[in-house]
Amino acid sequence: MEERFIIELTQSLKNFLPEVSLTVTLSLVILLDLIFGRRFKNIGAFVSLAGLVVTLFFTIKQYGGSYQIFRGMFVVDPYSTFFKFVFLLSAFVIVIFSLQSYELRETSARRRIGEYYFFILSLTLGAFLMAGSVNLIMMYLSLELVSISSYILAGYIKESERSSEASMKYVIYGALSSGLMIYGISLVYGLTGELNIYAINASFLSSGYSPIVLMISLVLILAGFGYKISAVPFHYWTPDVYEGAPITVTAFLSVSSKAAGFAMLVRFLKASFIDRTITLGIEGAWAVIQGLPLTEIVAVLSALTMTVGNIIAIWQNNLKRMLAYSSIAHAGYILMGVVVMQNLGISAMLIYFLAYLFMNLGAFYCVMLVAEKTGSEDIEVYKGLGYRAPFLSIVFTIFLVSLTGIPPTFGFIGKLYLFSALINAKVIWLAVVGVLNSVVSLYYYIRVVRNMFLGDPESGKEPINFSPAHIVVMLILVIPTLLFGVYFTPIVNFAQISVAMFGLR
Amino acid sequence: MSLFDVAFYVLAFITVGSAIVVVSSRNIIYSAFALLFTFFGVAGLYVLLNADFIAVTQVLIYVGGILVLIIFGVMLTTKVFDVPVKTETLHVGPAIVVTGAIMGTLFGVILKTKWFDILNVQWDGTTKKIGERLMTDFLLPFEVASVVLLVALLGAVIIARRERVKS
Repeated sequence: MEERFIIELTQSLKNFLPEVSLTVTLSLVILLDLIFGRRFKNIGAFVSLAGLVVTLFFTIKQYGGSYQIFRGMFVVDPYSTFFKFVFLLSAFVIVIFSLQSYELRETSARRRIGEYYFFILSLTLGAFLMAGSVNLIMMYLSLELVSISSYILAGYIKESERSSEASMKYVIYGALSSGLMIYGISLVYGLTGELNIYAINASFLSSGYSPIVLMISLVLILAGFGYKISAVPFHYWTPDVYEGAPITVTAFLSVSSKAAGFAMLVRFLKASFIDRTITLGIEGAWAVIQGLPLTEIVAVLSALTMTVGNIIAIWQNNLKRMLAYSSIAHAGYILMGVVVMQNLGISAMLIYFLAYLFMNLGAFYCVMLVAEKTGSEDIEVYKGLGYRAPFLSIVFTIFLVSLTGIPPTFGFIGKLYLFSALINAKVIWLAVVGVLNSVVSLYYYIRVVRNMFLGDPESGKEPINFSPAHIVVMLILVIPTLLFGVYFTPIVNFAQISVAMFGLR
Repeated sequence: MSLFDVAFYVLAFITVGSAIVVVSSRNIIYSAFALLFTFFGVAGLYVLLNADFIAVTQVLIYVGGILVLIIFGVMLTTKVFDVPVKTETLHVGPAIVVTGAIMGTLFGVILKTKWFDILNVQWDGTTKKIGERLMTDFLLPFEVASVVLLVALLGAVIIARRERVKS
């Protein structure tokens, strides 16, 4: 028996190499920073980059496979691997941002810079685990790993009161929602006696369930997910945390932690609350178990999230805060893909995430550069920026246009697929809400563009110059945003293959 | 009423009663000591549920570790006895309505639902079983928990360390 277990374990470890290599990297970051940190200040960043490349290699090797490891705790499938690519890409970009960040360079954070990269990696590891967990305990633990890492990162600039406040608020809201979530988990466990999400589903179908309890536990668990993806009404922390945290961290949270939340949410819904005995006659569609208004709940969440996010974003004059509300709105758009309850919607969601990765990171990068040169994130400093920094302004405009969802950008393709999935599933009202919201969002995105190109510079008219490194990073982000806006077939194919989850049609 | 029921109600009373003192007391020392009884009550409930290992762990970790730490923390801060703990309550009316509604729903659900239960279990020690399952079925969460702890530990040091302020 022991021997068989050891064989099983080595087999599992072989399929767990990306996570193992991330863990090794984060330990190395801490150790090497301790030994060489005084002489080579950026050693943490370079070790992280190397580790991320190694992890990427293992992840690519894993792509296409579909298996369960560690006795039904964790799965490796195209779906989780797709998200792992998103996490790796965003972590890679964020480490490069951080190398250039003035906030981390010029405050006391520079003395803790090795640990900073440690937390970036631990957040990535948590996100990896979230994408593949199929056991409620693992799901909760990996969610906590992401949360704890992000609490610390949000408060990394200790001189800044805003940053400490952000961290504090994040902890309090996080504790509340994870408390609600684990209560919901305990109800599900009490009903079924199972922790594995496939076993939970089997138990629902075989021995029946009471819809009301299921509803209550689902709502409680959704509180935990809603907090991670910052869906209304669990979004209260988002603006303050995004505004207060160092901008590199804000950008990272808005992509990685949100993507991880979505990855886990969709897998959880699709595996636990679906009746596989019913066939809907539509390719790749899943039927929700009877008596549970899951589609309606998610649809209302989606509509609320995008509307609240967009409408409050209109009033914001701080760009970081505006992008925070815009990221809430984007969570609403992405939820539209979940509402469909079809593989079509999930593939649209995956496409959107890739688009969101480039355009959102890019927008935050531009805000970071402007804040470094002008010392402010206020919309006023963008007046006349088109003449002082033409290249940055054009690039920033492209990102904003893409966030709005106007062709020929990647953001447009993402939205196009989301809307067509919705219309295909005949949820027309939500599609209409989505389109109206896009119009609202156009207003506040274009306000920045108008300020840049039509306003007169108020403070200082001298041109702002950027180093080649800055321009290269901008290009790395802007080229995919434009390229995939016109040449999107490979991305769409990639996303459509990647909807395959372990053990699910 | 069997002996089991009596034991349950006594323990439940201790747990809930002391928990109320914890949140309502204005003196932080009283709160800390009331917490001691809450922890013991919960440990007793575990014993009633045949969860011997969890009960012992509860006493060791919560009473022996966390509570002592809390009391130390309170004692070591200056002005122990007249720390102005602000436990003021806001919006009492709406809060009662909301919590009452939630409590009512939960009570209704808990009482009405047919929960998953295991009947007629022969009692034997759980420690060995827990150990075996932690090392086999739950190996991954066990290891991930250690990473979570490492991150939390480092994070606590980072957050709590005082920065040298430059003049």
